[in-house]
Amino acid sequence: MSAWTRILAAILFVLLSPILAGLLAGLDRIISARMQSRIGPPLLQPIYDLLKLFQKERIAVNRSGHFFLLGYLLFTILAGIEFFIGGDLLIVIFALALASVFFVLGAFAAGSPYSHIGAERELIQIMASEPMLIMCAMGFYVATGSFQVTTIHAQPTPLIATLPGIFLGMIYILTIKLRKSPFDLSTSHHAHQEIVKGITTEFAGPYLAIIELAHGYETILLLGFLYLFFAPWPLLALAALIAVYFLEILADNTHARLYWQWVLRTSWAFTAIVGAGNLILLHYLQRGGTP
Amino acid sequence: MANRTVIPFGPQHPVLPEPIHLDLVIEDEHVVEAIPSFGFIHRGLEKLVEKKDFTEFTFIAERICGICSYIHGMGYCQAVETVMGLEIPERAKWLRTMWSELSRIHSHMMWLGLLADAFGFENLFMACWRLREGILDVIEETSGGRVIFGAAKVGGCRRDVPDDLLARIPAQLNAVEDELRAITNVFRDDFSVRQRLCGVGLLSRNDAYDLGAVGPMLRASGVAQDSRLDGYAAYDKIAVEPIVEESGDCWGRTMVRIREIYQSFDILRHVLPNVPPGPVDMKITGAPKGEFFARLEQPRGEVIYYVKGNGTKFLDRFRVRTPTFANIPPLLKMLQGCQLADVPVIVLTIDPCISCAER
Amino acid sequence: MKQKPLTMTRVALGSLLRKPATVPYPAARKPVYLATRGHIAIEEDKCNLCLICDRRCPTGAIAVDRTGKTWAIDRLRCIQCNHCVDVCPRKCLAMENDYTTPMQMKRSDVVPVPFTPPQPKPKPAAAPAPTSDSPLQAKEERPGERNHEPPDQSSAD
Repeated sequence: MSAWTRILAAILFVLLSPILAGLLAGLDRIISARMQSRIGPPLLQPIYDLLKLFQKERIAVNRSGHFFLLGYLLFTILAGIEFFIGGDLLIVIFALALASVFFVLGAFAAGSPYSHIGAERELIQIMASEPMLIMCAMGFYVATGSFQVTTIHAQPTPLIATLPGIFLGMIYILTIKLRKSPFDLSTSHHAHQEIVKGITTEFAGPYLAIIELAHGYETILLLGFLYLFFAPWPLLALAALIAVYFLEILADNTHARLYWQWVLRTSWAFTAIVGAGNLILLHYLQRGGTP
Repeated sequence: MANRTVIPFGPQHPVLPEPIHLDLVIEDEHVVEAIPSFGFIHRGLEKLVEKKDFTEFTFIAERICGICSYIHGMGYCQAVETVMGLEIPERAKWLRTMWSELSRIHSHMMWLGLLADAFGFENLFMACWRLREGILDVIEETSGGRVIFGAAKVGGCRRDVPDDLLARIPAQLNAVEDELRAITNVFRDDFSVRQRLCGVGLLSRNDAYDLGAVGPMLRASGVAQDSRLDGYAAYDKIAVEPIVEESGDCWGRTMVRIREIYQSFDILRHVLPNVPPGPVDMKITGAPKGEFFARLEQPRGEVIYYVKGNGTKFLDRFRVRTPTFANIPPLLKMLQGCQLADVPVIVLTIDPCISCAER
Repeated sequence: MKQKPLTMTRVALGSLLRKPATVPYPAARKPVYLATRGHIAIEEDKCNLCLICDRRCPTGAIAVDRTGKTWAIDRLRCIQCNHCVDVCPRKCLAMENDYTTPMQMKRSDVVPVPFTPPQPKPKPAAAPAPTSDSPLQAKEERPGERNHEPPDQSSAD
């Protein structure tokens, strides 16, 4: 990749992701509504919401909280740029983790007990999802010998053939990252939750819009991760992404919210079984194949 | 480690549609204690009885609550009728039975939806409320109102229901019931629902009895008590079997209410073809003198109306003991030691109607 | 009893394939029934301004002005209880089964009533004609009635 294409990829990611994520969220809302026998909002509603939020009054509970939110947005975008210019996967994962930590700090900066419980739960969700992300990078490394996204992307055979377990694990934690039921613990797209809006309780107007924006970038980035599994066949990749997203919506609409203990337990167990199992198997297969 | 936080819960809270305030003392997401405070929506309805003609007070009695509205109006009328020694026409009694069972179904279906909402199951919430529309349609077609029926009256019913409409209702009810099976199966079988309900908010049989729980709360803890057995309205001609579960947890209370919905469908199928012909209303003369306690079974449990008349158009005293009020002490007991995530579920399983309790 | 993991999936997918149950209000509306209590309408030609509906209305939503010859209803106070229709001696009030459109500000719907009272027979010693001051009398008769706030419907559930 030349320097110019890298810059172009970065600019395209920064500009197009919010629109793409907005359309995706709009579709999500319509399909969810249909699953609930409702007509649902217009397709562009999430984008209208975002624009409206930016126009609202700036009310600060605690200014440092908003500074942390900017960190959340910035590091999510940085992680996304690093990914889409074909950079190092480990840097992407660490930048993403740092972004999540900034988000949690932002919630802790406000004094509200709901916000604090939401932040604590968000930390648990990070704990639940992070091992799988790292396992994913390791899987790519074992399969391709590189952490570079360009190298992984240039593989002639799709990685899904060698890393099906890792792929399943990624789908599992995508549910956590997209804040879908049964994992919508720290905050939820539904208004009705026992800790109100949890981690986002104390943010309103433009600051809430920043969270939504960062969440949009994060969604696109995670879908990018899934894309890598099917890189040589873009059409299949697109079909797989649509199927995965549909499954996420279906899971959201067919589950109650569960406890954080359950979330932590199952996601670690799942990571250990499918993620580590896949890695070990792959390792032995490769050693058997190349003596 | 044990760092205690106090979380204010209500009176305005997204998962709590009722204005009750609980101060939850939390230790690592476990509730140590719940301290309630009340009185946010006291409206002074009982006092109004001194300023309203006793027949017109029915409108106010019906508006004590929006969901169990009909039985409030009917209970008040029943108490006044007993004080005045009126024997209301047979058709009126059967129509009252029909409307109270319809209101039980719609209240329980609404409650199922709210419970689903409390454990974050948005789709199940929507499904329950969508099916409830079918019952509301029947109510609207027979009484004219969707939740405030406006059909109770001292001395009978305010409106008659044509026989051809009565003949048409069972088919409508069957359609709702068929669709409801799929939804109640979710409550019974679904993995994530059972995770959130089974073993949560345990109330032993003795605690339920000692703390004065009523209605589905009491029956879910294994006590067979149902005021419909007293045989008011036309219940003396219908066999009502109290629905009892032994588990005493949130799941048991859900099952009691679900089975009560189907029981009400059965009662309605028996009542509708048997509504006798005749007048629905009688002329009332004079004014009540004396006092009476009427006990009825609301969807939420046993409700008691006390009426004291002095021989004038204005009653001396009117008092309601609503089921929610009786269920608050067991609620506080159940909240001790539960997880924060379970608080909305436990609060909802008493089917709280704080507006009712505070009047 | 065994737990089954996919009971809701069938319901959700079934709903996805069926038509939505909601209607895009206000572009489309739910049908009303014959019995639906929508709003109170008056046939002003039949009304004789007898004040009974004004006095018996449980929330004091109806105001009848004999001198100004108007019949007025505050739709936000009206609780659709149908009581005025029941008590009207001239049967000029009716409960229509459609709802009124939501209003932007609080106001009463005022209907002029073309009723002319028959000239009182000339009685020299009679008390003042009831047309002039009976609205005042009506208010004094039961002082508590009109002053209290109507029970709040919205919070009563």
